[in-house]
Amino acid sequence: MRKSIGEEYNQQIAAKLYPLKDEPWPRNEWTKGSRRVGLVALKLGMAPIWTKSGERHVATMLQVQDCHVLKYLSKEEYDGRSAALLVGGKNASSFYKTDDQMEMYRLAGIPPKQKVSTFKVSDNAIIKPGTPLYAAHFRPGQYVDITAKTIGKGFQGVMKRYGFKGQPATHGQTKTHRRPGASGPGGDPAKVFKGKKMPGMMGNVFDTAHGLKVWRVNTRYNVIYVHGSVPGHKNCLLKVTDSVLPTRLENNTNPPFPTFFCEDEQLPEDLYDEDLFIHTQASLTL
Amino acid sequence: MAACTVRFDNVVCLVRMLRNVQHLNKRFLSTSLCRFTLDSDDSKPTKFTPPQKPVIIDKTQSEASLRKFLSPEFIPPRQRTNPLKFAIERKDMIQRRKVLNIPEFYVGSILAVTMADPYASGKTNRFVGICIQRGGRGLGATFVLRNIIDGQGVEICYELYSPRVQHLEVLKLEKRLDDNLMYLRDALPEYSTVDPDMKPVPYSVTGEVPVNTVKVRMRPKPWSKRWERPKYMVQGIRFELHLTPEQMEHAQKWAQPWREYDMLKEYDTTALEEAILAEVNTDMSK
Repeated sequence: MRKSIGEEYNQQIAAKLYPLKDEPWPRNEWTKGSRRVGLVALKLGMAPIWTKSGERHVATMLQVQDCHVLKYLSKEEYDGRSAALLVGGKNASSFYKTDDQMEMYRLAGIPPKQKVSTFKVSDNAIIKPGTPLYAAHFRPGQYVDITAKTIGKGFQGVMKRYGFKGQPATHGQTKTHRRPGASGPGGDPAKVFKGKKMPGMMGNVFDTAHGLKVWRVNTRYNVIYVHGSVPGHKNCLLKVTDSVLPTRLENNTNPPFPTFFCEDEQLPEDLYDEDLFIHTQASLTL
Repeated sequence: MAACTVRFDNVVCLVRMLRNVQHLNKRFLSTSLCRFTLDSDDSKPTKFTPPQKPVIIDKTQSEASLRKFLSPEFIPPRQRTNPLKFAIERKDMIQRRKVLNIPEFYVGSILAVTMADPYASGKTNRFVGICIQRGGRGLGATFVLRNIIDGQGVEICYELYSPRVQHLEVLKLEKRLDDNLMYLRDALPEYSTVDPDMKPVPYSVTGEVPVNTVKVRMRPKPWSKRWERPKYMVQGIRFELHLTPEQMEHAQKWAQPWREYDMLKEYDTTALEEAILAEVNTDMSK
């Protein structure tokens, strides 16, 4: 049954239902200060990469799987300040979706999605619902921010949760090795200040890794190689956007705007950063 | 004994030189014959035909192994990672293997690695040693070479797919009784001493890989690990020289004989290995 549903979904996507059959929305040129939509990607795992200077880095492989624009929210509908696009990633069963949710998918003409993210976009970067998004939306050399839910660690003490130092193992310690110590001054304030770091639940919260370089993009499998580690466990769905860091903005000029359309442009299977060592090249002589 | 070996070396050298001379002669003969026949066919040469390029076969290079052998880093670890991740990595590994000849080798084989090193004279660094450990999966696969240089033990951990590796040569292909020779750190230095100017020992490209059944003598205790413990399953140490029967029996206290019946720990890779080997062979011949 799972297989048949998958085929059904593929047919549905291939059919390019209602919204895409209509007139395409006008496309605008990229200008400074434009804000593009992001992607919902799947974390595959980590792999080493090497630069042309022989340095080794680790990269995280993110796969963009069945990523579609679901809905356009105008400025008034969203928060009154900027327009937004809902983007869904990874097809899911319709079993646990409510009728309201299914209505949205039906309007967009695409199968239901496991994760739906909201991306604030500038007014010139809006995309028609139902449009597929690909890994080639991001290009090697640019920088991205990645948001995901971190791995849950459960209820943890202050040493693991906040990196407190703890107390010595010996020298007359009695039942005091990993405790927080004092929690504030006594007497004058006569209270514990709000926000005091204490034991508690750790992880399983949304976290953003800022300014990660895109090293390589595989357009066949829609895999993005991103510098370093990203929050979340393997196979988790995460949100990838252009970096907001002001120092990285010049690397993100002239991206495919408003996104990469596969019928417009023929790309090679792999796009590499210019500093990245490609395995078909001869060994390095430094 | 020493004199004998010297004489044997001389003989080997002589034979090699003779062989080279023969090759040269053959080459000369063949080219000249070609020219001669061309001249005799046409009485008046109309067009200049360049002589055939001599085919130079490098006999010093050892032939590629004909054994069915899959390098262990191709086998994916047992985990819930998307198999696509390993497939993509495998493609890169095959690309690299097409450029750099990575021969078949095992723990216990003697290898020579030439590495690009910007700080070395001549910009390359060659290290000869015995492989004591192979680690890592996929592109991050490593191996550790050990040698004794000026009385000091040296171990270098090389990345198999690093672009800085320029040449990888198996000087002696053999296996040992164990899959991990980390105990050579605690063994007498003669067991990990390898001549850096060692000549490659020819080996057969078919049949079983020879197993060196040497058992090492250790330095007096304490060792870096308690090698007698069942956890390490060490076969290659002469424990009877260093430990009393009582001590050997005492080490069995940490045995976990139920482990081999733990069906959840079973990871049968034979079918997987067959499939990956077929894939690698077809891709390498492309």
